Amino acid sequence: MSRLLGLRHRLRALLFPRAHARDVAEEMRFHMELDAMHQGDAKEAALHFGNRTYYQEEVRRMTWYGAFDAARQDARFAWRSILRNPGFTAMVVLTLALGIGVNAASFAVLDLLFLRNPGGVEQPETLRRVHIEHFNSGDGIPFFSQALNHPMYRELVAAVGDSTKTALFTADNALRMGRHPRDPRIRGVYASANYFPLLGARTSLGRTYTNDEDRLGSGVAVAVISDRFRQSHFGGDSSVIGQTVNVEGTSFRVIGVLDPAFGGIDLQSSDVWMPLAMISAPSWVKGPWWNESINMTRFQMLYRLDDGMSDGLIALRATQRLRALQRASRPKRPDTLMNVIPGPLHEWRGPAKLGGDLLIASRLSGVALIVMLIACANVINLLLARAVRRRHEFSIRLALGMSRSRLVRLLATETLLLAVIAAVPALLAASWGGSVLRALLLPQVEFHEAAVGVRVVAFAFGIAVAAGLLAGIVPALQSHRPDLAGALKASPRSGGAHRSRLRRGLVVTQAALTLMLLTGSGLFVRSLRNVQSIDIGFDSNRLVFGTTRFAKGEAPPPAVFDAGMRDVGSRLEARAGIESVARTSFEPMQGLMWLDFFTARDSSGSFEHSTPTISNVSPNFFATVGMRLIRGQTFSGRDDGSSPPHEVVVNDALATRLWPGAEAIGQCMHFRTRESPCHRVVGVVENARQNGVIEEIAAYQFYVPVGLAAQQPVSSTLVLRVAGPTDAATTAMRAALRELFPAGEPTIHTMTENLEPEYRPWRLGATLFTAVGGLALVVALIGIYSTVSYGVAQRTHEFGVRIALGAQLTDLVRQVIGEGVRMVVAGIVVGVLLALAAGQLIATLLYGVDARDPVTMASAALLMLCVAVIAAIVPAWRASRVDPVSALRAE
Amino acid sequence: MSPSDSSPTPKSGLLPGTLDMLVLRTLSLGSLHGYAVAQHIERSSDGALRVEQGSLYPALERLQNGGLISSKWGKTSTGRRARFYTITARGEKQLGREISAFDNLLLAISRVLGRATEA
Repeated sequence: MSRLLGLRHRLRALLFPRAHARDVAEEMRFHMELDAMHQGDAKEAALHFGNRTYYQEEVRRMTWYGAFDAARQDARFAWRSILRNPGFTAMVVLTLALGIGVNAASFAVLDLLFLRNPGGVEQPETLRRVHIEHFNSGDGIPFFSQALNHPMYRELVAAVGDSTKTALFTADNALRMGRHPRDPRIRGVYASANYFPLLGARTSLGRTYTNDEDRLGSGVAVAVISDRFRQSHFGGDSSVIGQTVNVEGTSFRVIGVLDPAFGGIDLQSSDVWMPLAMISAPSWVKGPWWNESINMTRFQMLYRLDDGMSDGLIALRATQRLRALQRASRPKRPDTLMNVIPGPLHEWRGPAKLGGDLLIASRLSGVALIVMLIACANVINLLLARAVRRRHEFSIRLALGMSRSRLVRLLATETLLLAVIAAVPALLAASWGGSVLRALLLPQVEFHEAAVGVRVVAFAFGIAVAAGLLAGIVPALQSHRPDLAGALKASPRSGGAHRSRLRRGLVVTQAALTLMLLTGSGLFVRSLRNVQSIDIGFDSNRLVFGTTRFAKGEAPPPAVFDAGMRDVGSRLEARAGIESVARTSFEPMQGLMWLDFFTARDSSGSFEHSTPTISNVSPNFFATVGMRLIRGQTFSGRDDGSSPPHEVVVNDALATRLWPGAEAIGQCMHFRTRESPCHRVVGVVENARQNGVIEEIAAYQFYVPVGLAAQQPVSSTLVLRVAGPTDAATTAMRAALRELFPAGEPTIHTMTENLEPEYRPWRLGATLFTAVGGLALVVALIGIYSTVSYGVAQRTHEFGVRIALGAQLTDLVRQVIGEGVRMVVAGIVVGVLLALAAGQLIATLLYGVDARDPVTMASAALLMLCVAVIAAIVPAWRASRVDPVSALRAE
Repeated sequence: MSPSDSSPTPKSGLLPGTLDMLVLRTLSLGSLHGYAVAQHIERSSDGALRVEQGSLYPALERLQNGGLISSKWGKTSTGRRARFYTITARGEKQLGREISAFDNLLLAISRVLGRATEA
């Protein structure tokens, strides 16, 4: 209570400074009048009271307003001194802007990925995403997944205990707005009716759908749309309710528009929400209803943690139920170790391991911080150099009675002001850099809001203030040290030795941090090169794949399609620039198919998790894609529609697994049943990658001729091997496919395109580190240059004397350059130690190169040294050109 | 620009910090205006603690900022407008702490002096 009284008093003095001053004046006047009455003499009373103006001022200084006023004076003074030195100001502002900009841009991305909760959601902190830890992966390494089927969901609802506190949904970012493959794509979510009340998502128009409309078997085709979708597709029409939107061939009646703040709970905002009951099950889901299928595992679940429930308890109950379900529904291969793990609403703060690109994003803040430190070191350096020049000014101020703490505050204010000014261009840079980063990290997400929002602006100013204080305090503390008399007497040129030691220390720091970044960039560049040089079993940069997709019910009969594709293939093969054309059931590394088989002593059932996969390919497929035959030969006959020979080609891994120590060629494989006819192995090919560029264990693969044994009757994809650039072949194939199947939509990919995501983490690391390392190098260059040239300017007199005494110019040059090089060498030593320590943080992101790789570090060090020499050349040249006469006279 | 000296009792000749204690002690007797506080301190010390009376006002401002005393404008017995200061509960507590700290200090000093005369 009393404390509040004090606060009220302070606030009153702050808000009404005039009234406060009036009160104090009146009080003092009253005091003196009373005293004069008692003493009988006004003069005596005045003496008794002391200097009234001084005490009034003292009282004023005690108020917040007084402190604020002093700060304003400091700011005005700082502003004047900033304007007086535009060159210096520009340099400091640019350096700081660079540091703040990099940090703001990286924060913009980190905020998006890991910090900010989705908009329009009520109490996001009590919402949970269900993650499941599985132990049945092919390589035996546990992995996390959010994927659920409906039977699992029902068990999880029972574990939570209240179905209204849960929601099931599945997001699909490539739904067709219509039934034709040519129709534009939209992003939709199939969600249970309680999705909206659970999230607290409100509508701005109409309503959301009810449980009755989301009943399986009698689902109603209604949809709720986002406000953005209303703007873009209905022109912001508010009579949109009752209109229809076609999704995958079904017309949905729009019944509600969501609040503009809500765009779903994923990074990619959604356009349309539809009842879960309206989802169409894929053809391979057996039984009447997909909700009984354990293979329809494409759903994610949310629940809200109520008071009195704990994550641990729900996880425990859910885990027990799911394990029991596994034993009942998958008696063959139950995952009896699976664990349910509740995670926050924010997808990437869950238990799942981050992918390489996201991991790099999370390291970004560290890199940005290093840039900030380098920038601050540079600014401190510039400020120190200036402080030496301003020593005279400071001494006079101190001599005139300015207190030292006030001087420190004054100088800190100056830097703070510079930093805040720098935040403005930094934010401009960050809004550009943030969207570039966003696009680099998440190319698949289409963003609608600007990269820089309120939170980023606040962060930028926060970090600007921090940087301003950091960079301002050090020189300010330094500059209030000089003794008055000495500084007043001495010429402003003679600087303190300890100060230049500090300045050299800062350059060493910069060089060390820069070396660290350069090492990082070198490591990523080498990793990228290593990954790109992995032999994946395909001539990836020469391959183009193409097929045609049809709307439901418009596809030609399989035989017609097959013949057509073969025809297009032979026509394309005749074109210049296309070396060969083959056919396959799917693009390599983009799909899988299994087929049970039996051999004399073994069967596909004996393969635990890495079941062999089958591909239907034409005889020239191996030569076309660049897969080498190790033994034997490819299929006999031609891919001409005649009945295919009963032949198989297996890969090396499968041959070794099935017939260890024996010759695979000539062996029999029986498909589906042991009694089916023998398919003879005619060749063994090298292992090709199946899931990714980096695959520790080779996948088991076998190949059969087109039209043989497979469930899919046709080989739908054409493979072109091109001689030159892929563009011409792509265009030719698209034209040919469109001509042949006018109803369909050709889809064409180059293998390079398909593989790009595989190389992305390394490319990303290489790009980011190189860009940031380059910036740091420039800043370090400026730092070395300014320190060395400042040293030269200070020693003009000495150089003049030495030249007059006949010193060799080359000696002077060597000495000056040596000074720059010495600082950098010290920096390199420190930097190597730092890089060795920090290497662990990126070690998991590298490939084929050790985080302590000496060659990379040596190259980075060499680069630093070159920069040191370059930075010192100009000052050295200037030192050698000192005119002895004028240098001596200037003293 | 004024020197930013923040020692609590400038130009007082008192031990640093004692003026606050004296003011609190005086106000613990009842609500008084500034002049009365000054008079009380001066009289009850038989004129020994003669400080520049103006130095009282920064002290009063500081005590108010800390919520140790509060003030209100009122009328004196002669009908003149004056600001009256009252000690708060927090101020009472603070006064108790300061007095016991001061006692300890006095005791320590007198012990040192006592031993010095004995030797």
